[in-house]
Amino acid sequence: MHELSVAMGIVERALGVAEDHGAERIERLTVELGSATHVNPDQLRFCIETATDGTPAAGATVEIERVAPLARCTCGWEGDPGTLEAAMVYAPDVRCPECGDRTELVRGRECRLAAVEFPDEASPTEGPRPG
Amino acid sequence: MTHHPNHGLTRSLNRIVETPAALEALVDAAIGPLGLHRFGHDHDHDGDEPASDVEADVLAAVRERAGEVHETLAHDHGVHCVEFAGSTGGGKTLLLERLIERAPDDERIGAIVGDVAGEDDATRLRQLGVRVENVNTGKECHLDPMLVSEAIESFELEELDTLYLENVGNMVCPADFPLGATCRVLVVSTTEGDDVVRKHPMLVQTADLVAINKVDLAEAVGTDVDRIRSDVETVAPGTPAFETDAKNDVGVDALADALEDGREHDHGEGDHHHDDRDETDHHHHESESAHRH
Ligand SMILES: Nc1nc2c(ncn2[C@@H]2O[C@H](COP(=O)(O)OP(=O)(O)O)[C@@H](O)[C@H]2O)c(=O)[nH]1
Ligand SMILES: [Mg+2]
Ligand SMILES: [Zn+2]
Ligand SMILES: [Zn+2]
Ligand SMILES: [Zn+2]
Repeated sequence: MHELSVAMGIVERALGVAEDHGAERIERLTVELGSATHVNPDQLRFCIETATDGTPAAGATVEIERVAPLARCTCGWEGDPGTLEAAMVYAPDVRCPECGDRTELVRGRECRLAAVEFPDEASPTEGPRPG
Repeated sequence: MTHHPNHGLTRSLNRIVETPAALEALVDAAIGPLGLHRFGHDHDHDGDEPASDVEADVLAAVRERAGEVHETLAHDHGVHCVEFAGSTGGGKTLLLERLIERAPDDERIGAIVGDVAGEDDATRLRQLGVRVENVNTGKECHLDPMLVSEAIESFELEELDTLYLENVGNMVCPADFPLGATCRVLVVSTTEGDDVVRKHPMLVQTADLVAINKVDLAEAVGTDVDRIRSDVETVAPGTPAFETDAKNDVGVDALADALEDGREHDHGEGDHHHDDRDETDHHHHESESAHRH
């Protein structure tokens, strides 16, 4: 539902990186998307592709990698929280399998620009190029 | 992180390199001419520290912003901030009105409402003498902490004791967008059916407190309130649930007391700050279960 605003955040970050590298074009973007979010990967890809129109990232390959949640408990347990069986849609099971307390997700809620790739010819230079 | 965006390169190197560490080194050596920037790795072109999560992570940046709102309200100005989230028509505004009616005469109350339907909610609250900011965007499906931090600029925070936030009617989006309230109340109503919690588990997991509203209608609509209650415990262990009938003002006292208990906002540690991103994250997660440090 809010993939567009999230996508714009990703594209903005990617364009910043391209500028830092003096790259005129971005060839590929990799995004790590946690499963414990409501961001839909297909819609996110579509929105990123749309948001890159007319920018140096236009036409870039958008790669979205799902990140499985990782839960941690104050009792010391850490691991895959598993899926909440009772729920009708995906949610992590945040009850600690060791002590029954509520765990904390230390991974799985991210939507993170993980990598930006530039074409071969656009090797990093000192500063942004004109144009 | 062990993946490499250039899979072809990784694959060809795989044939000749045995150890992952050596592979990593070779790939890192090779990526220069390819022009690759990976976040969170030591080869950051500045030679600085690896990019922080907030720099690269859009949702972590939202959570950090919510932490800043919390810092400004709760810690810098002692404003008790309570958010109401839930479906349109669930009773967020009426519950708010009930709480405001109960407040002592000298309590200075403000509200930020994000109902996309129009000025209605704002008008209802203004009639109770509350200072109201309407952040009616008309197109957003949720409030975000950026909108809230803009809206709080129009309040004199020194002259405020309590700030209520009414989120946009939505059972999905707000899960990814904490606003920085000390307490998020999720309002579910019996007219939404007794599977409402199981249908929206991730939003329930972000609530500090659940109000099961319209209990007066439960029987008529055939909704099992106990089932909702037990689902809350299954989905978000330890989250308190209150049964309310806002229309007839039943059960609201217990909710009001629970919210008042949260006013004495204390992190328990003198040196606790929210300025570091892990703490912010931690803080907000803690806040999902009664905000205790
Ligand atoms: N029967 C009954 N009606 C309620 C209750 N709470 C709210 N309502 C009614 O439900 C409608 C929507 O309430 P409102 O507070 O505007 O919901 P919001 O969209 O969540 O802010 C209004 O007509 C309220 O009078 C309740 O506990 N019982
Ligand atoms: Mg309302
Ligand atoms: Zn445990
Ligand atoms: Zn949204
Ligand atoms: Zn705090």
